[in-house]
Amino acid sequence: MYGTQSKRDLALELQAQIPFLRPSIHARRANITVKFQDLYGFTVEGNVDDVNVLNEVREKVREQGRVWWALEASKGANWYLQPQIASISEGIALKSSLKLSSLANAITLKKLIRKGIPPVLRPKVWFSLSGAAKKKSTVPESYYNDLTKAVEGKVTPATKQIDHDLPRTFPGHPWLDTPDGHATLRRVLVGYSFRDSDVGYCQGLNYVAALLLLVMKTEEDAFWMLAVLLENVLVNDCYTNNLSGCHVEQRVFKDLLVKQCPRYALVYEEFLDIYV
Amino acid sequence: MAAYRADEDYDYLYKVVLIGDSGVGKSNLLSRFTRNEFSLESKSTIGVEFATRSIRVEDKIVKAQIWDTAGQERYRAITSAYYRGAVGALLVYDVTRHVTFENVERWLKELRGHTDSNIVIMLVGNKADLRHLCAVSTEDAKAFAERENTFFMETSALESMNVENAFTEVLTQIYHVVSRKALDIGGDPAALPKGQTINVGGKDDVSAVKKVGCCNA
Repeated sequence: MYGTQSKRDLALELQAQIPFLRPSIHARRANITVKFQDLYGFTVEGNVDDVNVLNEVREKVREQGRVWWALEASKGANWYLQPQIASISEGIALKSSLKLSSLANAITLKKLIRKGIPPVLRPKVWFSLSGAAKKKSTVPESYYNDLTKAVEGKVTPATKQIDHDLPRTFPGHPWLDTPDGHATLRRVLVGYSFRDSDVGYCQGLNYVAALLLLVMKTEEDAFWMLAVLLENVLVNDCYTNNLSGCHVEQRVFKDLLVKQCPRYALVYEEFLDIYV
Repeated sequence: MAAYRADEDYDYLYKVVLIGDSGVGKSNLLSRFTRNEFSLESKSTIGVEFATRSIRVEDKIVKAQIWDTAGQERYRAITSAYYRGAVGALLVYDVTRHVTFENVERWLKELRGHTDSNIVIMLVGNKADLRHLCAVSTEDAKAFAERENTFFMETSALESMNVENAFTEVLTQIYHVVSRKALDIGGDPAALPKGQTINVGGKDDVSAVKKVGCCNA
């Protein structure tokens, strides 16, 4: 589920690689399928009408990119990476440190992020605003290298499951599905499984880590993004042994649905039997 | 997820679950049966997915709603929802990996602990096309199935071998179990209006017929 969804999301954020097509009415009638790779290397397939929609999306993403560049020009490079703005975004700013300009910047940034971060800026913005940078800064520089070296050759239930899932993570992807891609993804997942033995490895993390690798560019940054997601951003225990965080989320969703959309709740309850 | 279509023409809706260790081929069995597709580049399943297909059993249209989930141990924690209302199960192991057959016993225990005793279970040895790598003998599996009173079949989702048979057999058996049950309580299954779910499992199973209606709910 997750995999398909992400692919689709990525497809919607198509960038320059897309052939810009203006299909004729004939082409439309013929329902020609177009196949190409998106900026993260995923194959996107669709008919010409789909591609037109994707082109529109791409144009919107470009426009949004221009907004980022304009702000960068007026506010200075990396304005959004100032720790104060980051902490306001996280909602942990101290009142005394609150400056009006920082607050205004934080609000601007929030709006910008909600409209989408240009792909080239994602590694920087994600890393800083998620808290991954802070997390990384609290340990020795060599932490990740030491960790991956220390766990090399060790076999645990987690490593067995990881090895099983490596070729089943976005199969066919031009980089992820190569020996190099498998080895890189393995280091991140195995490393994390030893960092947090409560989580170890949970099926599904393979897709998360793989996407992080594609976006973050460096393996180490992907590792820290995974760490901050699991340890700070997401609900606790989403991936631990009994998935209790996941149960909590489903329960909360169910309660919200009953409260906000009672008719849908009834239909779901009766037809899908989906609730815990 | 597959959307429910109220206007679809069927007589019975049965929920069937696919269980078994990670990587035994549950998702490919599902895609082979519901879409006649097999993917060599298969993706690991996370959470729960399901698909449906209708087949004819005797003179009735039976719609199977087949649930598929991740095989990893910790995903068993979501089982109460997964098993709820299931009237059939395919317990899958990989004939080339003996450990997946050893774990069948635990899966069976889990299944029986969460479902009605009338649930129709079929033990399925998948990847039977890999004959030269076979690590579980047909005799052993057959003996196990007899001892545990389950059906048994060896399948190959890749070669499309016995997949149709396995699902059809389970659905036919469910149909018979449900008919017998309905007869036991004096009802004629054929007389049940369309769109009702027959539920032989679950705690609310008093009459073996659970009324489910989208539009009149």
